[in-house]
Amino acid sequence: MADTPEAIQKAKKLYTFIGLLLFFFTGITVAVATVEVLDVGGHGFDAADATLGLIIAAFKASLVMIIFMHLNHEKPLIYFFYGLALLMAFFCMWLIGWSKSDPIQYGNSTAADGFYNPEKPATDVHAKVEPQE
Amino acid sequence: MEIPFVVNARKDTGLNNSKVGIWLFLASEVTLFGGLFSGYLFLRIYADYPWPERTLPILPGLLNTFILIGSSVTVVFAWAALKMRQWKKFQIYMAITLVCAALFMVLKGFEYQAKFNHQAVRILGDGRVNDFAIIEGHAHYAKLDHGEIHHAEKGEEGYFKHNRIAIKASEITFTLTRPVHDSYVGAVIEQAGGEGKFKLSETYAVKDAETGESVVVLEEGSPLNTDNLDLAEDGFVEGRIHDANIRTAFLKGDWKAIRASGNDDDAWRVVMTDEWKAQQKESSLKMKGHLVDARGTVTYKIDPPLILHFDPDAVVNHSSDQLKLRDDTTIKGEFDVAGSSLPMAIDGIDFRFTAQRAIEEGIDPAKAIEESWILQTPEVKRVWDAHQEWLRFQTERLAQKSKDSGKEGEDAYVPTESEKYRVNWDQMVSYQRAGYTDIYEKAKNGELDKPNWIEGFVGPNHSNEEFIKAFPDIVVPRDKIGFESTFTPKWNTYYAIYFTITGLHGLHVIGGMIVLGYYLFFGRKMYDSNPEWLANRVEVGGLFWHFVDLVWIFLFPILYLM
Repeated sequence: MADTPEAIQKAKKLYTFIGLLLFFFTGITVAVATVEVLDVGGHGFDAADATLGLIIAAFKASLVMIIFMHLNHEKPLIYFFYGLALLMAFFCMWLIGWSKSDPIQYGNSTAADGFYNPEKPATDVHAKVEPQE
Repeated sequence: MEIPFVVNARKDTGLNNSKVGIWLFLASEVTLFGGLFSGYLFLRIYADYPWPERTLPILPGLLNTFILIGSSVTVVFAWAALKMRQWKKFQIYMAITLVCAALFMVLKGFEYQAKFNHQAVRILGDGRVNDFAIIEGHAHYAKLDHGEIHHAEKGEEGYFKHNRIAIKASEITFTLTRPVHDSYVGAVIEQAGGEGKFKLSETYAVKDAETGESVVVLEEGSPLNTDNLDLAEDGFVEGRIHDANIRTAFLKGDWKAIRASGNDDDAWRVVMTDEWKAQQKESSLKMKGHLVDARGTVTYKIDPPLILHFDPDAVVNHSSDQLKLRDDTTIKGEFDVAGSSLPMAIDGIDFRFTAQRAIEEGIDPAKAIEESWILQTPEVKRVWDAHQEWLRFQTERLAQKSKDSGKEGEDAYVPTESEKYRVNWDQMVSYQRAGYTDIYEKAKNGELDKPNWIEGFVGPNHSNEEFIKAFPDIVVPRDKIGFESTFTPKWNTYYAIYFTITGLHGLHVIGGMIVLGYYLFFGRKMYDSNPEWLANRVEVGGLFWHFVDLVWIFLFPILYLM
């Protein structure tokens, strides 16, 4: 972390650059979501758009953490705290994957099915479940 | 007392205590928001209704993202200024940060307000697939004129949102066992134009506990007011306490008598004996003369009958001759069909849920939609027909695009579910601007003119003279309403999680403003005595602020763009 006046002055330039980079990538995210030419995957929102949007968001978040929150110059203890917290957050996400293995049958079994597929309703409560042998 | 290690690092951690503290706090915040994001994911993946994709206006969200990123830069500049001992610069950067935070909250406020005023109704249809058609819009306003509900303009004296359940009431009965809601009483008196319009149908009396004589609490014909209801309630409660005491005394007597007769078996066996049952029968006959037997209700007659109207949220159920409110208050009379209807200007038609259910039921979605009650209104049908024209253009355009890019089969470009089965407010405006004619041709020539992001800053603007012409009026009879709500957590799980996460995030912004504002307005003394300490504090506050920004970096694409 910058401590001397010279280093701080230099760091300010970096902060400005990172700020501009964050603005730029915010614009990119919106453009990808709204401009058809930049639409990845199929027409409209789909898994490819979600993946790209989240990758950009993760990149932006990393910039904030590394540069603004000074994680590039932190002590191991901080990495330990933060690592544990991230692990916990990912565990929460993993729970969703875990719920997928629930024996109750659902329509959308893969991400490729998308979030709304009329051919395979998300929760097919009307479907008759064959008794398992 | 001197607080240790606020500036210098501890030897064991290599960090000052403030930093360890804030990072521990931020770690807990990561798990909190991680859990909420995971909740969002769960609700979305397993939603059994079409998820409201990209329904939030993008511009306020985008501006808020820029504002928060900008404030992240200024807060780190404020810290740098302190490190370089530049108090003035610190003040400027911190002030900009606070202005950004305030702007963020103002924009959020506009966004929330638009949602709170936006009405959605799920229409009841044929009991199957058509029970899932949705219209969105703004309820008209109304006012009472000589007991009748009439249309009113927003801001007119006594105006209210015309989403009420109305009854031509001839009798209203309050239940004394539940606390009487003063708001109901006040509201019905105000609507009737005075408490004298309600007359107690029969004298409310309870027996005096000592003498057994009847004591009048409220005379027949007494007017309705909260004081009178309180009197009746007090009389009822006293009567109930007295009766409870009498019953306990008799029970004790019965028990003693049975024990004295030599039957001292276990309690549960005693109460099974014929002897006990006979004793109880005898006691109950004797007891009747001692009980006060206070009545649990008071009924007021309304003559001549008056129209009373209630917020649908207050009404538990209604039929052709009565309404029941949440506190068991019952209003008898004649259900006011016209007053209970919901007149609204619609700015969104959504048949996605209908289509989903139709496919599940093996019905052609187009046929199910054609039969929908919504399309019986010619102005709405005109919009839907225009949309079908646009959809024809869109389908052909995408087919051509697929052909040009060599995409076939499942990879071919096709209209989205939203494009097929939903008409947004901006599309409605574009069809209206095009005069509802030759939509296919106009779409092909790029002549359909949708409002831009600024015109629809927080969604459909019903104050705009031009837009309002594009939003057809429809009167929804109460018996056609399957479910209605404004766009609040009640409407669906999307709005539930949207308000939970953004609300919690907003609270973080306010918390951050308080902390950073404290440094700005009260930091001078510390700066003079120990500038490095203040710099450390600002760094810690800044870390929290960056975290607030970080959460929003994920929230914006997830809620606004996906």
